[in-house]
Amino acid sequence: MTKISINNLVKTFEASDQRDADGEIVAVDDIDLEIADGEFIVLVGPSGCGKSTTLRCIAGLDNATQGEIRFDGEIVNDSRPRDRDVAMVFQNYALYPHMTVEGNMGFGLKLSSTLSSAEIDARVTEAAETMGIDGLLTKKPGELSGGQQQRVALGRSIVREPGVFLMDEPLSNLDAKLRAEMRTEIQALQNDLGVTTIYVTHDQTEAMAMGDRIAVLDGGVLQQVDVPEQLYRNPVNEFVADFIGSPSINLLDVAVDGKRLTGPGGFTHEYTGHEVGDRSRVRLGIRPEDLAIDERGDELTVSVVEKMGNENFIYGHLGDREIVARTDASVRPDPGDTVGLSFTNEALYLFDAQSGRSLETKTDNVSATQTQF
Amino acid sequence: MHDELETEAIWRFAGYGFLLLVTMFMLIPIYWLLVASTLPESAIIASAGSGLPRLIPGTHLLENARALAARPDVDFYLSILNSVLIAVVYTGLALIFCSMAGFAFAKYDFRFKEPLFLGILATLIIPINLLVVPLFLLVSNIGLANSYWAVILPWAAYPIGIFFMRQSMQSIPDSLLEAARMDGASEFQLYYRVALPTMKSSMAALAVILFLFQWNLFLWPLVVLQQEKFTIPVAITKIMGQEQIAYDQLLIAAVLAIVPMFVVFLVLQRHFVRGILAGAVKE
Amino acid sequence: MRSDLTVEFIDRVRYKRERLKDLLPPIPGTPFVFLSPFFILFGVFLAIPVFYTIYLSFFAFQGVSMEPIFVLDLGAYQLVVPEMANLRFVGLEHYERMLTDQVFHQAIINTVVIFVVQVPIMVSLALGLALVLNAGFTRFKNVFRSVLLLPVSANTVAYSVIFIVLVTEGGLADAMFRAVGLDPIAWLSNGFWSRNLIAFMSVWRWTGYNMIIILAGLQTISDSLYEAAEIDGATKIQKFRYVTLPQLKPIMLFVFVTSTIGGFKKFAEPTIVIQSGAPITETRTIAYYIYQVAFQNLELGYGSALTVALVVIIMSLSLLQFKVS
Repeated sequence: MTKISINNLVKTFEASDQRDADGEIVAVDDIDLEIADGEFIVLVGPSGCGKSTTLRCIAGLDNATQGEIRFDGEIVNDSRPRDRDVAMVFQNYALYPHMTVEGNMGFGLKLSSTLSSAEIDARVTEAAETMGIDGLLTKKPGELSGGQQQRVALGRSIVREPGVFLMDEPLSNLDAKLRAEMRTEIQALQNDLGVTTIYVTHDQTEAMAMGDRIAVLDGGVLQQVDVPEQLYRNPVNEFVADFIGSPSINLLDVAVDGKRLTGPGGFTHEYTGHEVGDRSRVRLGIRPEDLAIDERGDELTVSVVEKMGNENFIYGHLGDREIVARTDASVRPDPGDTVGLSFTNEALYLFDAQSGRSLETKTDNVSATQTQF
Repeated sequence: MHDELETEAIWRFAGYGFLLLVTMFMLIPIYWLLVASTLPESAIIASAGSGLPRLIPGTHLLENARALAARPDVDFYLSILNSVLIAVVYTGLALIFCSMAGFAFAKYDFRFKEPLFLGILATLIIPINLLVVPLFLLVSNIGLANSYWAVILPWAAYPIGIFFMRQSMQSIPDSLLEAARMDGASEFQLYYRVALPTMKSSMAALAVILFLFQWNLFLWPLVVLQQEKFTIPVAITKIMGQEQIAYDQLLIAAVLAIVPMFVVFLVLQRHFVRGILAGAVKE
Repeated sequence: MRSDLTVEFIDRVRYKRERLKDLLPPIPGTPFVFLSPFFILFGVFLAIPVFYTIYLSFFAFQGVSMEPIFVLDLGAYQLVVPEMANLRFVGLEHYERMLTDQVFHQAIINTVVIFVVQVPIMVSLALGLALVLNAGFTRFKNVFRSVLLLPVSANTVAYSVIFIVLVTEGGLADAMFRAVGLDPIAWLSNGFWSRNLIAFMSVWRWTGYNMIIILAGLQTISDSLYEAAEIDGATKIQKFRYVTLPQLKPIMLFVFVTSTIGGFKKFAEPTIVIQSGAPITETRTIAYYIYQVAFQNLELGYGSALTVALVVIIMSLSLLQFKVS
């Protein structure tokens, strides 16, 4: 299959708004990324972070402004999409509305392979069976449900037997239940086929659940590439810490006074062992699941309690900051109550107040509640 | 309550009355055309004071058609062939050219795209089919006078058609074309294997616009075509141009020019309507 | 089912094609390739005529000429641009002549009178029909719509012929007038009535066309507007006055302006009416006069000047529409 290396990839667009001083928008800013053969890597980030542009440069739909993209060591910057041996699944599926499912799946083979019609038919049938859509081959996309169209789109990409799968938010048009189903199905498929896969999503839950490794992007800059657990436990900066995990990490501006941290609303915490240098202010991060609620305390004013059944999300105000804690279902204060907050030093994240760089990250043991998202 | 029902009834009565009256006005000439074409010339025009002309079909249709065929000065049946040939070739060519240009404007970015498109929009307000004087000199000079191409080519890149196709093709999702690029399609294959097939109904509407435009073209063919290349409208004026108008022949010519198009219209009505409205869409 | 041989043939063609695609370099400037037929045709048959019309209007035409004015020698091939016409410069003479040309003035009057008679009748009919066809109570809407639209497909010359035969002396129109006790109208010998005939014919041809446009406009008016008016206690007439008409304004304007432009271009109908022997003075339109000057008298220069005048009139009307809407 295919190993992909991306070196110093830069992609700029001409700004449509001419008042822009330099007249261009930097969509992707100097990205380096090595993707191993057979790896499932997820590019994740908020919209406009450059993840789709990166994918499109790899696909050959956009030309890199600078930098190199190598497939198995060979530079592919100038080759057309058809010469790169890649297949892509689009967010809106992009099925040809005038062709049957069979026509859709066979189109690529007809245009870029030297297979005979009989061989193409055989490949299409086989791929359709894999995707469980062999009964739909004579239907047009307009006659299919969203889930079925998604399967056809996947089938169209696997039938080509490409070296790389590129998937651009393929599940975001599906409803929640179907999305979860397709998520495991795509993973199983990728496992079976062992094809290098680059998957773009804005949904960190999806990224965490699916990726062998995850690349987090923001503002065109690659923030961190790592396995999911490392992103969660050892984010390189505040952005990654904030982006990964749901509900998001609680971030507080705290003043440092010796070993004492003072946060909004007079909240204090005595810390040990963390190296903050001579900083007088840092950002403190604490994940909702690491907060312990003491119903007799008076630090947090509860505003909303979301009872999920198996657990509760408790929202409240710490001074002017909103805080969320994820607790056992048995912890159920009423809105308006004040409760105590506590957490262990091992669960603490600290970030530089200016740069957002991580100073200290989670050092506690992995427990069952922390590995699920 | 009672009053309201009453006014409602009056509205309905007036509405239907008006509708039927206008429909009659539309139908009388058509009905009479069909009837009169089956009558001998003497029955088409009643001698003064002798009441209505005959209003039920006669049996003279074939005689009239034969009389038309026997005319030495105008070969009307040939002109039908000419008209159909010209209109069909024109429609085909113009469809290709307009859709290609529309595709480029809708789905590509290129230098001078905006000024070029504005240029096309500007020509929409020029009555291009009135510019026959220079066109006549031009066509004579490049040796196209009295040829089918003289009528087919000048408006084969029809501005309204380009505008219409650009508007329609903007609805093709970019990802559809990108999917085809990933599948290995060349840019030209994007156009004719992906864009065109998804634009079938727009193409049909445009075909109607183009066909009608060419079918009704009169001044230009009158100027540039000779005897054996005459289109229907030109041939009709030649039939009329005689001292004594032969009404029987004239009517059968009108029938042949109009009735087949009525049938085409009834079959393709949906596209006709879309074509008419396409002219009315604003930017 | 296709036979194996055909399939094999198709496959072969496919390989060849794909091989070719691999060999050919990707074309730079793909959009320009798509635009090339348009560039050529547009340049030759539209750009040249537009400027050449203006140019010609300052010259008197003396005959066709093939004298080369420009020769590009490419060795094996010589590109020769002939001068097309033997011309004599006359400056603004044609435009001065236009100012005093009684026939031209009469043609303008005729053209204006025709659409002043035609457009109000046609637009009211079209609006009325559209309203009835849009009303909830009307049945067989599709049938009525089809019939009313039928004239749109009629060839402009051929339909004019029907009307000539219809109104000719002793024709059906005469008989119908007599049947209701009226004196028949001399449609084809009284200039006043010949001119009105052109207007009435045009009403027949174009009412359905405008109706369908107005109908489309009516259908875009949201029901909630009518419901709101109904809650406010508006009567049918008030609803029409305060909801329908204001909402329809842009469409009505479009209809008015396109009809006016169509009126200025009118050529087929007057040609047929004139050919049937009607008085030419009252029925000659601008377009017909241009045809006479340029192609019957072969005064191509003056014909061009008249064309420029007509095009300017029509373009100003179009611009007016763009501006107002």
